[in-house]
Amino acid sequence: MRTRGAILLANIITGLVLGFTVANIGYGDYAELNRMFTFQSMRMFYSFAGAVVIIVCAFAVLRVPRTPGRIHAGVVPGAVLFGTGWAISGGCPAIPITQVAGGYLPALVTIAGITVGIRLCRWTNARYFHLDRGSCGL
Amino acid sequence: MTTYWPWWAGAAGLALATINYTLISDRSFGVSSAWDRVLHWRSERRLERMEEEFTDEQALTEALAAATAEHFGTAAGTSTVPPVPSGQPRPLGTETEPAASGRPAATSLRPAPLVTQAALLVSIFLGGFIAAVTSGRFHLRYDMGPGFKNLVTADPITMTALLFVGGVLVGFGTRLAGGCNSGHGLNGCGRLRPVSIVATAVFFSTAVAVSFLLWKVI
Repeated sequence: MRTRGAILLANIITGLVLGFTVANIGYGDYAELNRMFTFQSMRMFYSFAGAVVIIVCAFAVLRVPRTPGRIHAGVVPGAVLFGTGWAISGGCPAIPITQVAGGYLPALVTIAGITVGIRLCRWTNARYFHLDRGSCGL
Repeated sequence: MTTYWPWWAGAAGLALATINYTLISDRSFGVSSAWDRVLHWRSERRLERMEEEFTDEQALTEALAAATAEHFGTAAGTSTVPPVPSGQPRPLGTETEPAASGRPAATSLRPAPLVTQAALLVSIFLGGFIAAVTSGRFHLRYDMGPGFKNLVTADPITMTALLFVGGVLVGFGTRLAGGCNSGHGLNGCGRLRPVSIVATAVFFSTAVAVSFLLWKVI
């Protein structure tokens, strides 16, 4: 069990590195993102895939336990909605933050949309879906 | 003309962010999860206070289950605390399987404190700002750049509507799927979790299909 300070430090360092890296890769640039999604440039895709390969190897060396995850009913429809929204707005939950930080003020609208979507999901899930969706970040 | 990092530098940066988090905190991170918790800070704070009140693990687990059932509308009496939630924090190098003891250790279910999740979002902003300034890309603007203008629309109203609708889909979709690029894509795929591999494959392929359909075909 890590201390509160260690967890805070982890979040700050990771946030800084993630924001810095995402912005420098070009995920906030709609043209670059579209070039990845339409296979005109594989640079950003390789960045992501390369990161996954490094993480898999590092976790294997560090013996980080593999956690099972139940494929619940919300995974596929949720991922479809997310993929659609990502292609339309050019933002995943982290990207619009770096877009605003880079001066793209309309990305505030994307953030507002994400806010509404997240609150809507929790509300509809409580009322209708009753899914135990798990959480990627604990 | 600005240049972005080569793919290997980007891969190293993303991997560094993920591995660093796991090494320091014994947890995995997710940006959509951080958003979710920060946006629902009242209920999250209530859960945190409840956690602090209980020292007995069984009592804590039951109280969390009851509170979650109340909040999510899950049927009373059913366990809403998953035995092994995705991204579950566990000590590094420990092969102990909580399920083997009949129930998970309550301490292993505790999420990162709420304030640290807010710190993650603020730090992403600062990291992005530093990158924009140091690379010379920082420029205050009221559009989404030439890419969006050429590929999607130059009309400010249509742009605003598309960004909002896209944002709603991203927010709703990531929480319904239980994660986004960071949670499922980096942390989950890094741990070879089947649910994360499925989610990542689906959202990437959907984004590809939608990009081709919207901006190439239609």
